Amino acid sequence: MRHVRHVLERFGIPEAALAGFEFEPAPAAVFVGTAEVMGFDAVRPLRRGLRFCRLYPHSVKPTSHAMQVFGREATRNRVAVDEEQAVVLANGGEVRIEAEAENGFVLICWREFVLGTGLYKRPALRSQIPRFRPVG
Amino acid sequence: MRARTRDRFPAQFVARYSTIIPDFEPFLDAMCRPLPRTFRVNTLKGTREQAQELLGAFAPEPLPWYELGFSVRDGAGLGRTLAHFLGLVYVQEAASMVPPLVLGPRPGERVLDVAAAPGSKATQMAAMMENSGLLLLNDISFERVRALVGNVDRAGCLNVAVCRTDGMLLARRVAGTCDRVLVDAPCSSEGTMRKTDEALERWSVRGIQRFERVQKGLIAAGFDALRPGGEMVYSTCTVAPEENEAVVDYLLARRPDAELLPVALPGLKMRPAVAAWDGEEFAPAVANCRRILPQDNDTEAFFVARIGKRG
Repeated sequence: MRHVRHVLERFGIPEAALAGFEFEPAPAAVFVGTAEVMGFDAVRPLRRGLRFCRLYPHSVKPTSHAMQVFGREATRNRVAVDEEQAVVLANGGEVRIEAEAENGFVLICWREFVLGTGLYKRPALRSQIPRFRPVG
Repeated sequence: MRARTRDRFPAQFVARYSTIIPDFEPFLDAMCRPLPRTFRVNTLKGTREQAQELLGAFAPEPLPWYELGFSVRDGAGLGRTLAHFLGLVYVQEAASMVPPLVLGPRPGERVLDVAAAPGSKATQMAAMMENSGLLLLNDISFERVRALVGNVDRAGCLNVAVCRTDGMLLARRVAGTCDRVLVDAPCSSEGTMRKTDEALERWSVRGIQRFERVQKGLIAAGFDALRPGGEMVYSTCTVAPEENEAVVDYLLARRPDAELLPVALPGLKMRPAVAAWDGEEFAPAVANCRRILPQDNDTEAFFVARIGKRG
Protein backbone atom coordinates (compact mmCIF):
# COMPACT_ATOMS: atom_id res chain seq x y z
CA MET A 1 0.00 0.00 0.00
CA ARG A 2 1.65 3.23 -1.17
CA HIS A 3 0.63 5.36 1.83
CA VAL A 4 2.20 2.89 4.21
CA ARG A 5 5.34 2.71 2.07
CA HIS A 6 5.53 6.48 2.12
CA VAL A 7 5.51 6.52 5.94
CA LEU A 8 8.14 3.76 6.14
CA GLU A 9 10.41 5.57 3.72
CA ARG A 10 10.07 8.98 5.32
CA PHE A 11 11.06 7.68 8.73
CA GLY A 12 13.36 4.84 7.72
CA ILE A 13 11.21 2.27 9.48
CA PRO A 14 12.23 -1.24 8.37
CA GLU A 15 9.49 -3.29 6.75
CA ALA A 16 10.22 -6.04 9.27
CA ALA A 17 8.67 -3.80 11.95
CA LEU A 18 5.30 -4.42 10.28
CA ALA A 19 5.75 -8.17 9.81
CA GLY A 20 2.63 -10.08 10.77
CA PHE A 21 0.34 -7.04 10.53
CA GLU A 22 -2.11 -6.19 7.81
CA PHE A 23 -3.49 -2.88 6.58
CA GLU A 24 -7.02 -1.88 5.75
CA PRO A 25 -7.94 1.28 3.88
CA ALA A 26 -10.81 3.34 5.25
CA PRO A 27 -12.17 6.72 4.19
CA ALA A 28 -9.27 9.15 4.64
CA ALA A 29 -7.24 6.73 6.74
CA VAL A 30 -5.40 3.42 6.85
CA PHE A 31 -5.72 1.03 9.77
CA VAL A 32 -3.22 -1.59 10.92
CA GLY A 33 -3.92 -4.75 12.87
CA THR A 34 -3.22 -8.44 13.11
CA ALA A 35 -4.31 -10.73 10.28
CA GLU A 36 -6.95 -12.22 12.59
CA VAL A 37 -8.40 -8.78 13.31
CA MET A 38 -8.47 -7.76 9.66
CA GLY A 39 -9.97 -11.09 8.58
CA PHE A 40 -12.68 -11.17 11.24
CA ASP A 41 -16.06 -11.04 9.52
CA ALA A 42 -18.61 -12.56 11.88
CA VAL A 43 -19.78 -9.04 12.67
CA ARG A 44 -18.79 -5.62 11.39
CA PRO A 45 -16.72 -3.95 14.12
CA LEU A 46 -16.69 -0.20 14.67
CA ARG A 47 -12.94 -0.32 14.63
CA ARG A 48 -10.21 -2.81 13.68
CA GLY A 49 -6.71 -2.36 15.09
CA LEU A 50 -5.09 1.06 15.21
CA ARG A 51 -5.30 4.01 12.80
CA PHE A 52 -1.91 4.02 11.08
CA CYS A 53 -2.19 7.23 9.09
CA ARG A 54 -4.63 9.86 7.99
CA LEU A 55 -4.89 10.73 4.32
CA TYR A 56 -5.19 14.31 3.15
CA PRO A 57 -5.39 15.52 -0.46
CA HIS A 58 -1.69 16.41 -0.53
CA SER A 59 -0.17 14.59 2.39
CA VAL A 60 -0.12 11.47 4.53
CA LYS A 61 0.04 12.03 8.28
CA PRO A 62 1.17 9.10 10.42
CA THR A 63 -0.83 8.99 13.64
CA SER A 64 0.87 9.52 16.97
CA HIS A 65 -0.52 6.30 18.43
CA ALA A 66 0.80 4.21 15.55
CA MET A 67 4.16 5.95 15.64
CA GLN A 68 4.46 5.29 19.38
CA VAL A 69 4.44 1.60 18.41
CA PHE A 70 6.19 1.46 15.02
CA GLY A 71 8.30 4.61 15.23
CA ARG A 72 10.68 3.08 17.76
CA GLU A 73 12.67 1.61 14.88
CA ALA A 74 12.72 4.79 12.82
CA THR A 75 16.10 6.06 11.61
CA ARG A 76 15.17 9.33 9.87
CA ASN A 77 13.26 12.51 10.61
CA ARG A 78 13.36 12.02 14.33
CA VAL A 79 13.54 15.08 16.56
CA ALA A 80 14.81 14.50 20.06
CA VAL A 81 13.34 16.74 22.77
CA ASP A 82 14.01 17.20 26.47
CA GLU A 83 11.43 16.64 29.17
CA GLU A 84 10.30 20.25 29.32
CA GLN A 85 9.76 20.32 25.56
CA ALA A 86 8.06 16.91 25.70
CA VAL A 87 5.48 18.24 28.14
CA VAL A 88 4.77 21.28 25.94
CA LEU A 89 4.34 19.07 22.87
CA ALA A 90 2.24 16.47 24.67
CA ASN A 91 -0.11 19.31 25.55
CA GLY A 92 -0.43 20.25 21.90
CA GLY A 93 2.06 23.13 21.92
CA GLU A 94 5.00 24.24 19.82
CA VAL A 95 8.74 24.51 20.55
CA ARG A 96 11.69 25.92 18.64
CA ILE A 97 14.46 23.46 18.00
CA GLU A 98 17.32 22.91 15.53
CA ALA A 99 17.27 19.32 14.36
CA GLU A 100 18.65 17.20 11.54
CA ALA A 101 15.27 16.61 10.01
CA GLU A 102 13.50 17.63 6.84
CA ASN A 103 10.59 20.00 7.03
CA GLY A 104 7.29 18.16 7.18
CA PHE A 105 6.07 15.41 9.47
CA VAL A 106 8.62 14.17 12.00
CA LEU A 107 8.67 11.86 14.98
CA ILE A 108 8.99 13.58 18.35
CA CYS A 109 11.32 11.47 20.48
CA TRP A 110 11.78 11.74 24.21
CA ARG A 111 14.35 9.44 25.79
CA GLU A 112 13.85 6.03 24.13
CA PHE A 113 10.15 6.69 23.40
CA VAL A 114 8.31 8.18 20.48
CA LEU A 115 5.83 10.72 21.84
CA GLY A 116 4.04 11.12 18.55
CA THR A 117 3.98 13.07 15.33
CA GLY A 118 5.05 16.67 14.89
CA LEU A 119 5.15 19.11 12.01
CA TYR A 120 8.58 20.59 11.57
CA LYS A 121 9.28 23.88 9.80
CA ARG A 122 12.75 24.76 10.98
CA PRO A 123 13.08 25.84 13.73
CA ALA A 124 9.42 25.47 14.76
CA LEU A 125 8.20 22.05 15.85
CA ARG A 126 4.44 21.96 16.21
CA SER A 127 2.74 19.08 17.96
CA GLN A 128 0.30 16.95 15.97
CA ILE A 129 -0.41 14.80 18.99
CA PRO A 130 -4.10 14.50 19.90
CA ARG A 131 -4.74 15.95 23.32
CA PHE A 132 -5.86 13.14 25.59
CA ARG A 133 -5.57 14.79 28.96
CA PRO A 134 -3.25 17.48 30.35
CA VAL A 135 0.33 16.44 31.00
CA GLY A 136 2.65 17.96 33.59
CA MET B 1 -12.08 14.65 51.92
CA ARG B 2 -14.60 13.91 54.66
CA ALA B 3 -13.62 10.89 56.78
CA ARG B 4 -15.88 7.96 56.04
CA THR B 5 -17.59 6.08 58.81
CA ARG B 6 -19.60 2.90 58.97
CA ASP B 7 -22.79 4.98 59.22
CA ARG B 8 -22.64 5.44 55.47
CA PHE B 9 -23.87 1.89 54.88
CA PRO B 10 -27.65 1.37 54.88
CA ALA B 11 -28.99 -0.94 57.61
CA GLN B 12 -30.25 -3.29 54.92
CA PHE B 13 -26.74 -3.55 53.46
CA VAL B 14 -25.30 -4.44 56.86
CA ALA B 15 -28.08 -6.93 57.59
CA ARG B 16 -27.62 -8.67 54.23
CA TYR B 17 -23.90 -9.13 54.40
CA SER B 18 -23.02 -9.48 58.06
CA THR B 19 -23.88 -13.17 57.92
CA ILE B 20 -22.06 -14.13 54.73
CA ILE B 21 -18.95 -11.95 54.73
CA PRO B 22 -16.34 -13.40 57.04
CA ASP B 23 -14.68 -10.85 59.35
CA PHE B 24 -17.50 -8.43 58.72
CA GLU B 25 -16.22 -5.71 61.08
CA PRO B 26 -12.81 -5.49 59.35
CA PHE B 27 -14.71 -5.55 56.03
CA LEU B 28 -16.72 -2.45 57.00
CA ASP B 29 -13.60 -0.72 58.31
CA ALA B 30 -11.73 -1.44 55.08
CA MET B 31 -14.67 -0.14 53.03
CA CYS B 32 -14.30 3.20 54.83
CA ARG B 33 -10.57 3.56 54.22
CA PRO B 34 -9.26 5.33 51.10
CA LEU B 35 -8.25 3.03 48.28
CA PRO B 36 -4.55 3.04 47.35
CA ARG B 37 -3.79 4.21 43.81
CA THR B 38 -2.48 1.39 41.67
CA PHE B 39 -1.23 1.06 38.13
CA ARG B 40 -0.20 -1.64 35.70
CA VAL B 41 2.79 -1.55 33.37
CA ASN B 42 1.76 -1.93 29.74
CA THR B 43 4.40 -4.15 28.16
CA LEU B 44 3.20 -3.21 24.67
CA LYS B 45 4.84 0.18 25.29
CA GLY B 46 7.84 -0.57 27.44
CA THR B 47 9.29 -2.48 30.32
CA ARG B 48 8.65 -2.68 34.05
CA GLU B 49 12.07 -1.13 34.63
CA GLN B 50 11.34 1.83 32.33
CA ALA B 51 8.08 2.47 34.17
CA GLN B 52 9.76 2.27 37.56
CA GLU B 53 12.43 4.70 36.44
CA LEU B 54 10.01 7.24 34.94
CA LEU B 55 7.71 7.08 37.97
CA GLY B 56 10.45 6.90 40.60
CA ALA B 57 9.14 10.09 42.26
CA PHE B 58 5.93 8.23 43.14
CA ALA B 59 7.93 5.48 44.91
CA PRO B 60 5.89 2.65 43.35
CA GLU B 61 5.63 -0.52 45.42
CA PRO B 62 5.16 -3.79 43.50
CA LEU B 63 2.01 -5.76 44.23
CA PRO B 64 3.02 -9.04 45.90
CA TRP B 65 0.96 -11.13 43.48
CA TYR B 66 1.56 -9.45 40.10
CA GLU B 67 4.93 -8.36 38.80
CA LEU B 68 3.43 -5.69 36.51
CA GLY B 69 1.14 -4.17 39.16
CA PHE B 70 2.25 -1.36 41.49
CA SER B 71 0.71 0.74 44.21
CA VAL B 72 1.66 4.28 45.17
CA ARG B 73 1.01 6.04 48.45
CA ASP B 74 0.11 9.33 46.82
CA GLY B 75 -1.19 8.88 43.29
CA ALA B 76 -2.15 12.50 42.68
CA GLY B 77 -0.72 13.50 39.32
CA LEU B 78 -0.08 9.95 38.10
CA GLY B 79 -2.51 10.46 35.23
CA ARG B 80 -0.66 13.61 34.18
CA THR B 81 2.76 12.03 33.73
CA LEU B 82 4.50 11.40 30.43
CA ALA B 83 4.59 7.68 31.33
CA HIS B 84 0.80 7.69 31.44
CA PHE B 85 0.53 9.81 28.30
CA LEU B 86 2.74 7.31 26.46
CA GLY B 87 0.54 4.41 27.55
CA LEU B 88 3.46 2.86 29.39
CA VAL B 89 1.28 2.64 32.50
CA TYR B 90 -2.46 2.21 32.96
CA VAL B 91 -4.06 3.42 36.17
CA GLN B 92 -6.12 0.41 37.22
CA GLU B 93 -7.53 -0.79 40.51
CA ALA B 94 -5.53 -3.76 41.78
CA ALA B 95 -8.45 -6.21 42.07
CA SER B 96 -9.47 -5.35 38.52
CA MET B 97 -6.14 -6.83 37.35
CA VAL B 98 -7.19 -10.24 38.68
CA PRO B 99 -9.78 -11.46 36.10
CA PRO B 100 -7.36 -11.27 33.11
CA LEU B 101 -4.68 -13.02 35.16
CA VAL B 102 -7.09 -15.82 36.02
CA LEU B 103 -8.29 -16.07 32.42
CA GLY B 104 -4.70 -16.15 31.11
CA PRO B 105 -5.15 -15.28 27.41
CA ARG B 106 -2.21 -16.41 25.27
CA PRO B 107 -0.61 -15.09 22.09
CA GLY B 108 -2.49 -16.03 18.93
CA GLU B 109 -5.78 -16.87 20.62
CA ARG B 110 -9.29 -15.59 19.89
CA VAL B 111 -10.60 -13.86 22.98
CA LEU B 112 -13.93 -12.15 23.60
CA ASP B 113 -14.45 -9.43 26.21
CA VAL B 114 -18.21 -9.06 26.36
CA ALA B 115 -18.40 -5.84 28.41
CA ALA B 116 -14.98 -4.31 27.75
CA ALA B 117 -15.27 -0.56 28.41
CA PRO B 118 -13.43 1.44 29.59
CA GLY B 119 -10.68 -1.04 28.73
CA SER B 120 -8.45 -1.68 31.72
CA LYS B 121 -8.83 -5.46 31.51
CA ALA B 122 -8.98 -5.38 27.71
CA THR B 123 -5.64 -3.60 27.39
CA GLN B 124 -4.16 -5.94 30.00
CA MET B 125 -5.26 -8.91 27.91
CA ALA B 126 -3.93 -7.35 24.70
CA ALA B 127 -0.52 -7.13 26.38
CA MET B 128 -0.76 -10.71 27.68
CA MET B 129 -1.50 -11.79 24.09
CA GLU B 130 1.59 -9.84 22.93
CA ASN B 131 -0.50 -7.91 20.40
CA SER B 132 -1.35 -11.05 18.44
CA GLY B 133 -4.47 -13.06 17.62
CA LEU B 134 -7.89 -11.48 17.95
CA LEU B 135 -9.27 -9.68 20.96
CA LEU B 136 -12.90 -8.90 20.34
CA LEU B 137 -14.03 -6.01 22.54
CA ASN B 138 -17.60 -4.98 23.04
CA ASP B 139 -19.72 -2.59 25.00
CA ILE B 140 -23.28 -1.53 24.55
CA SER B 141 -22.87 2.16 25.41
CA PHE B 142 -21.64 4.62 22.79
CA GLU B 143 -19.98 6.85 25.39
CA ARG B 144 -18.22 3.92 26.99
CA VAL B 145 -17.04 2.61 23.62
CA ARG B 146 -15.49 6.02 22.91
CA ALA B 147 -13.52 5.74 26.12
CA LEU B 148 -12.58 2.17 25.21
CA VAL B 149 -11.24 3.19 21.80
CA GLY B 150 -9.23 6.00 23.40
CA ASN B 151 -7.67 3.59 25.85
CA VAL B 152 -6.83 0.82 23.36
CA ASP B 153 -5.23 3.48 21.13
CA ARG B 154 -3.15 4.86 23.98
CA ALA B 155 -2.12 1.33 24.95
CA GLY B 156 -1.02 0.56 21.37
CA CYS B 157 -3.31 -2.44 20.84
CA LEU B 158 -3.16 -3.88 17.32
CA ASN B 159 -5.06 -7.10 17.98
CA VAL B 160 -8.43 -5.57 18.85
CA ALA B 161 -11.73 -5.33 17.01
CA VAL B 162 -14.12 -3.01 18.84
CA CYS B 163 -17.88 -3.49 18.61
CA ARG B 164 -20.83 -1.62 20.07
CA THR B 165 -23.73 -3.95 20.43
CA ASP B 166 -25.62 -6.11 22.90
CA GLY B 167 -23.04 -8.48 24.37
CA MET B 168 -25.47 -11.38 24.17
CA LEU B 169 -26.05 -10.85 20.45
CA LEU B 170 -22.34 -10.56 19.74
CA ALA B 171 -21.52 -13.69 21.73
CA ARG B 172 -24.11 -15.60 19.69
CA ARG B 173 -22.53 -14.41 16.44
CA VAL B 174 -19.20 -15.93 17.44
CA ALA B 175 -20.68 -19.01 19.13
CA GLY B 176 -18.29 -21.93 19.55
CA THR B 177 -15.24 -20.08 18.20
CA CYS B 178 -13.51 -18.37 21.14
CA ASP B 179 -10.56 -19.78 23.06
CA ARG B 180 -11.33 -17.54 26.02
CA VAL B 181 -14.13 -15.24 27.10
CA LEU B 182 -14.20 -12.58 29.78
CA VAL B 183 -17.58 -11.62 31.16
CA ASP B 184 -16.79 -8.78 33.54
CA ALA B 185 -20.44 -8.16 34.03
CA PRO B 186 -22.19 -4.86 34.66
CA CYS B 187 -23.09 -5.00 38.33
CA SER B 188 -24.29 -3.04 41.34
CA SER B 189 -20.61 -2.19 42.02
CA GLU B 190 -20.77 -2.61 45.78
CA GLY B 191 -17.03 -3.23 45.74
CA THR B 192 -16.41 0.30 44.49
CA MET B 193 -18.08 1.85 47.54
CA ARG B 194 -14.59 2.10 48.94
CA LYS B 195 -13.60 4.45 46.14
CA THR B 196 -16.72 6.52 45.60
CA ASP B 197 -20.17 7.05 47.08
CA GLU B 198 -21.83 6.65 43.69
CA ALA B 199 -22.72 2.96 44.05
CA LEU B 200 -23.78 3.54 47.65
CA GLU B 201 -26.19 6.31 46.70
CA ARG B 202 -28.03 4.17 44.16
CA TRP B 203 -27.81 0.92 46.14
CA SER B 204 -31.00 -1.11 46.55
CA VAL B 205 -31.96 -4.77 46.59
CA ARG B 206 -34.17 -4.08 43.60
CA GLY B 207 -31.19 -2.74 41.70
CA ILE B 208 -29.27 -5.91 42.44
CA GLN B 209 -32.14 -7.98 41.08
CA ARG B 210 -32.16 -5.91 37.89
CA PHE B 211 -28.50 -6.66 37.24
CA GLU B 212 -29.01 -10.35 37.93
CA ARG B 213 -31.17 -10.78 34.82
CA VAL B 214 -28.57 -9.18 32.53
CA GLN B 215 -25.75 -11.13 34.16
CA LYS B 216 -27.47 -14.47 33.60
CA GLY B 217 -27.96 -13.64 29.93
CA LEU B 218 -24.33 -12.58 29.52
CA ILE B 219 -22.81 -15.57 31.29
CA ALA B 220 -24.83 -18.03 29.18
CA ALA B 221 -24.07 -16.23 25.91
CA GLY B 222 -20.40 -15.84 26.87
CA PHE B 223 -20.18 -19.55 27.62
CA ASP B 224 -21.79 -20.43 24.30
CA ALA B 225 -19.12 -18.34 22.52
CA LEU B 226 -16.43 -20.73 23.82
CA ARG B 227 -15.08 -23.54 21.70
CA PRO B 228 -15.00 -26.94 23.42
CA GLY B 229 -12.00 -26.91 25.75
CA GLY B 230 -12.14 -23.10 26.04
CA GLU B 231 -12.23 -21.14 29.28
CA MET B 232 -14.26 -18.23 30.57
CA VAL B 233 -13.93 -15.91 33.54
CA TYR B 234 -17.04 -14.39 35.04
CA SER B 235 -16.28 -11.49 37.37
CA THR B 236 -17.99 -8.61 39.11
CA CYS B 237 -16.97 -5.86 41.50
CA THR B 238 -19.83 -6.60 43.85
CA VAL B 239 -20.51 -8.83 46.84
CA ALA B 240 -24.21 -9.62 46.28
CA PRO B 241 -24.61 -13.41 45.93
CA GLU B 242 -27.48 -12.87 43.48
CA GLU B 243 -24.97 -11.29 41.08
CA ASN B 244 -22.21 -13.78 41.73
CA GLU B 245 -22.70 -17.34 42.97
CA ALA B 246 -26.35 -17.43 41.86
CA VAL B 247 -25.36 -16.44 38.32
CA VAL B 248 -22.70 -19.15 38.14
CA ASP B 249 -25.16 -21.66 39.62
CA TYR B 250 -27.66 -20.66 36.91
CA LEU B 251 -25.09 -21.44 34.22
CA LEU B 252 -24.17 -24.81 35.71
CA ALA B 253 -27.84 -25.80 35.82
CA ARG B 254 -28.34 -24.94 32.14
CA ARG B 255 -25.08 -25.95 30.50
CA PRO B 256 -24.08 -29.51 31.40
CA ASP B 257 -20.74 -29.06 29.62
CA ALA B 258 -19.75 -26.23 31.99
CA GLU B 259 -17.32 -26.99 34.79
CA LEU B 260 -15.95 -24.77 37.55
CA LEU B 261 -12.15 -24.62 37.60
CA PRO B 262 -9.99 -23.63 40.55
CA VAL B 263 -8.91 -20.00 40.94
CA ALA B 264 -5.57 -19.21 42.55
CA LEU B 265 -2.99 -16.44 42.35
CA PRO B 266 0.01 -16.97 44.60
CA GLY B 267 0.32 -14.07 47.06
CA LEU B 268 -3.29 -12.92 46.70
CA LYS B 269 -5.63 -13.83 49.54
CA MET B 270 -9.04 -14.96 48.31
CA ARG B 271 -12.05 -16.29 50.18
CA PRO B 272 -14.33 -19.18 49.27
CA ALA B 273 -17.65 -18.55 47.61
CA VAL B 274 -20.92 -18.40 49.50
CA ALA B 275 -22.55 -21.86 49.65
CA ALA B 276 -26.17 -20.72 50.00
CA TRP B 277 -28.22 -17.55 49.91
CA ASP B 278 -31.76 -16.66 50.73
CA GLY B 279 -32.67 -20.29 51.41
CA GLU B 280 -31.17 -21.53 48.17
CA GLU B 281 -28.19 -23.92 48.20
CA PHE B 282 -25.83 -23.55 45.29
CA ALA B 283 -24.31 -26.49 43.38
CA PRO B 284 -21.27 -27.82 45.27
CA ALA B 285 -18.97 -26.87 42.36
CA VAL B 286 -19.77 -23.18 42.96
CA ALA B 287 -17.39 -23.46 45.93
CA ASN B 288 -14.55 -23.11 43.39
CA CYS B 289 -15.46 -19.44 42.82
CA ARG B 290 -13.46 -16.89 44.79
CA ARG B 291 -14.22 -13.64 46.59
CA ILE B 292 -11.65 -10.88 47.04
CA LEU B 293 -12.38 -8.82 50.13
CA PRO B 294 -11.00 -5.31 50.71
CA GLN B 295 -9.46 -6.06 54.11
CA ASP B 296 -7.32 -8.92 52.76
CA ASN B 297 -5.26 -7.24 50.03
CA ASP B 298 -6.17 -3.55 50.44
CA THR B 299 -8.23 -3.56 47.22
CA GLU B 300 -11.84 -3.18 46.16
CA ALA B 301 -14.12 -6.18 46.62
CA PHE B 302 -14.31 -8.55 43.65
CA PHE B 303 -15.76 -11.89 42.63
CA VAL B 304 -14.11 -14.28 40.18
CA ALA B 305 -15.28 -17.57 38.68
CA ARG B 306 -13.25 -19.63 36.19
CA ILE B 307 -15.39 -21.82 34.00
CA GLY B 308 -14.29 -24.43 31.47
CA LYS B 309 -16.23 -25.89 28.56
CA ARG B 310 -15.71 -29.63 28.43
CA GLY B 311 -14.16 -30.68 25.13
